[in-house]
Amino acid sequence: MSVDIQALAGETLARMKSAGFDDAQVVLTISEQDELNMAHNEPSLLRSTEDYALSLTGLSGGRKATTRLTELDNDSIAHSITTLFERAQLAPVDEGNAVSEGQQSTFEQGPQEGDLDLLANKVEELLEFRRHNTPRMAIEEGAALHRRVRQQLLTSRGTSLACSVGSYGLTAMGTASEGGKSSSFNGAGGRANDIADKNAADYFGIADMLKETERQIETRPIDGNFVGDVIFAPGAVSDLLGWLIQQLGDGALLANASLYRTKVGEVVTAPILNIHSRFDAPGGAPFSDDGFVTPPLKLIEAGRLNMLLPSLYGSRKTGVAHTPFSSGWTIATGDIDKDAMIADVKRGAIVNRLSMGSPGPSGDFSSVIKNSFLIENGKVGAALAETMIAGNMAQMLRDITAISKQHIDDGTYDFPWIRVPNLHFS
Amino acid sequence: MSSNQLTAPSGAAYSETRQHEVRRNQLVMIDGSLATNSETSEGGTSARVWNSGYWGFASVPATDSASAAKVAKKATDNAAVMGRFGEQPKIDMPLDAHVGEYGYNGRPPMSRKEVIELLEALNAHCKKQFPDVKSATFMLQEESHAKRFATSNGSSGLSSINRAAAYLVLTADDKNGNPVQLMQTFSGKGNFADLGLSFDKLIPELAELHRHLQAKRVAVAPRGGKHTVVISPELAGMLAHEAMGHPCEADIVLGGAVTGNLVDQQVASELITMVDFANTYGSQELMIPVYVDDEGTEARDAVLIEKGILKHFMTSRETAAKLGIASTGNARAYTFNDEPLVRMRNTAILPGSRKIEDIISEVDDGYYLMKTGNGQADSTSEFMFGITLAYEIKNGKLGNAITDTTVSGRAIDMLKTVDAVSDDMYWECNGYCGKKQPMIVSLGGPALRARAHLGGQ
Repeated sequence: MSVDIQALAGETLARMKSAGFDDAQVVLTISEQDELNMAHNEPSLLRSTEDYALSLTGLSGGRKATTRLTELDNDSIAHSITTLFERAQLAPVDEGNAVSEGQQSTFEQGPQEGDLDLLANKVEELLEFRRHNTPRMAIEEGAALHRRVRQQLLTSRGTSLACSVGSYGLTAMGTASEGGKSSSFNGAGGRANDIADKNAADYFGIADMLKETERQIETRPIDGNFVGDVIFAPGAVSDLLGWLIQQLGDGALLANASLYRTKVGEVVTAPILNIHSRFDAPGGAPFSDDGFVTPPLKLIEAGRLNMLLPSLYGSRKTGVAHTPFSSGWTIATGDIDKDAMIADVKRGAIVNRLSMGSPGPSGDFSSVIKNSFLIENGKVGAALAETMIAGNMAQMLRDITAISKQHIDDGTYDFPWIRVPNLHFS
Repeated sequence: MSSNQLTAPSGAAYSETRQHEVRRNQLVMIDGSLATNSETSEGGTSARVWNSGYWGFASVPATDSASAAKVAKKATDNAAVMGRFGEQPKIDMPLDAHVGEYGYNGRPPMSRKEVIELLEALNAHCKKQFPDVKSATFMLQEESHAKRFATSNGSSGLSSINRAAAYLVLTADDKNGNPVQLMQTFSGKGNFADLGLSFDKLIPELAELHRHLQAKRVAVAPRGGKHTVVISPELAGMLAHEAMGHPCEADIVLGGAVTGNLVDQQVASELITMVDFANTYGSQELMIPVYVDDEGTEARDAVLIEKGILKHFMTSRETAAKLGIASTGNARAYTFNDEPLVRMRNTAILPGSRKIEDIISEVDDGYYLMKTGNGQADSTSEFMFGITLAYEIKNGKLGNAITDTTVSGRAIDMLKTVDAVSDDMYWECNGYCGKKQPMIVSLGGPALRARAHLGGQ
């Protein structure tokens, strides 16, 4: 099926207006993906998918309803608009409902056509790297893929945002085992505009992950409870950032459950922390879901919170300034070598993955630390098993004492290693 | 969904075609505002072809016959392209066929108007009755799957799964002025009407949730380390799913999970029997009834642990062949553009004979773990799940609530310490299991007493 994305989005918007909506938003997304999968150390599956999604938001008399459909024939769209209008009439009037106005942008990045030979070469490189360098590590699943996403977003108030974004992706996950013992799961991966320059294992920290996992076959628990330092690796740093972003967004603000509701302009983290956006990262586009261009943000500067992140709806409901945002964040690197950070830890752990529930709005958490190593007297020791840390997310952000020079860029997130003291080990 | 006669791609050792439609209906009311009022529909056709040890897969978001022909050709081509990687060892996949149509007949759905009025009434009730609550959030979700399939070895038919879930969340300030939340969930087969959602049913549940929230506002930190814990029936299903469910999925076993070496060995107390049910427990159809999987294999119960002994794994056709065991019909795909993977269905620890009150009363010093948010599994059988509501047990009685924590352990060690199993049986099917694709599953179990590791100070 060939789709004129701009024309179909425009026709659908016109039909929504004709159906009686006062305001409307139409988002038409077409994506194509070729994904060459590995399973159990072998190439396994070539998966090719075409996906269409037509997302409609309709406002009538201050009432709102949304829908999404994948079948784009005339009857399916007409039926969806009719039922959407009926559902909107049943919703309560809400002064928060609105659509974006006057946003205009076209954005294109990344490879618009995939190279299947390149994907096959990357799979061979990855499997070859494993065979030669980390034979005890099994790649249980992994993939090399190319994805192209084209999108047109239109609103009844003159917004027109269009993008065409292509990207390559590489992932690998699995366990290492020997003599009846297994490591924990471990994985790495990410997105890039090109994956031809280096060996597949040299992207996104995959080679280090494979090597480190082999060192996690033999593990031991800690000797008794203690309070110590944690050096969070980039994969674990994403959990800290995820909690913070959640605290700044609609869910927490609307439910009156954000610790940061009144903290804009205040120092809320250690002054060495700087968090910036990268909304134009590989695979992404600098547009928000509710129809705004997303200019670059300095979310945290020298520990100071510069803004909250409500959507247009959240902003109109709470009175908090609207800050359009999409996905992709960078934590600025520090000036200390990762090994020097480790050498400065008397007792603690280097933590690659947090296995835990979703920390609540208070920030209290406890987590099993996975793919992690004990640090004693500045030296990395045994891989850990059955070990937990406990603390508070907000307090950890305030307590950061060091940020590494080194970092891992997975395409969407670019994070360094971060040291936090005074966490409870058990 | 189109009723055209599906056929699987021809000329391969095995192939399948699936038309799959997923419909979701979601409403979220936060502090009186209807933040989400959404219905979605995803439908399409996929084909998967097995050729010389490799799979080819293709999908398009349409269900007409031309689309079926298109994905059949593309999947066949993709399988052939994989031949560039060389010959794979031949395996003999079990190719038993099954023909059947499994629809869903539930109550007539609640109207949109009824559902929105219910949400508004619940919000007004919370405002009036719970002045210390800062906000109330109610989320209602319905999800239905209809899959029409045909395989090259003669399987064909229709399978349907429908589930509904309600989430009630109250937020208040704790003793330090920090926000604290607590959630109660309801879930079951069918739609909101099948779930019996009504103001009269939910008011007592909100009162109980508010009572626990009051306790959580003055909660104390748990002591980190190994403790005697009583796991409520609401949590036991999560334990079953995470702790030994995932390590008994055949693809995880092939990936090196420790369970691969433990068949016919003791991995749990004799009090523990654990089963991944296909569709029925006793005489009751379960919340996620799978009669035939997405490879056209008739779904059979998989007894994972019987009286403490590890017995069997959950399999697809390919993983069954590679492990040399029977196919259990666990190959499931989440949407039309997903390939079937080995997934759980209705995984449960079976009930025992004790009363939960007696099990708690025998604990001098421990914790009663009541509600969970989510969990994770590992190839080592080390599991964890987040605990959002728990109480201390002192001298056989419940004490202070504790702050949010995490419980963990190595399942094959922890399950050996189970010394009491209650006669309750609680099932739920809210949330998603994550493993490349999301999946809807149900979990069940009784209360258990065991030794486990609690995160804390």
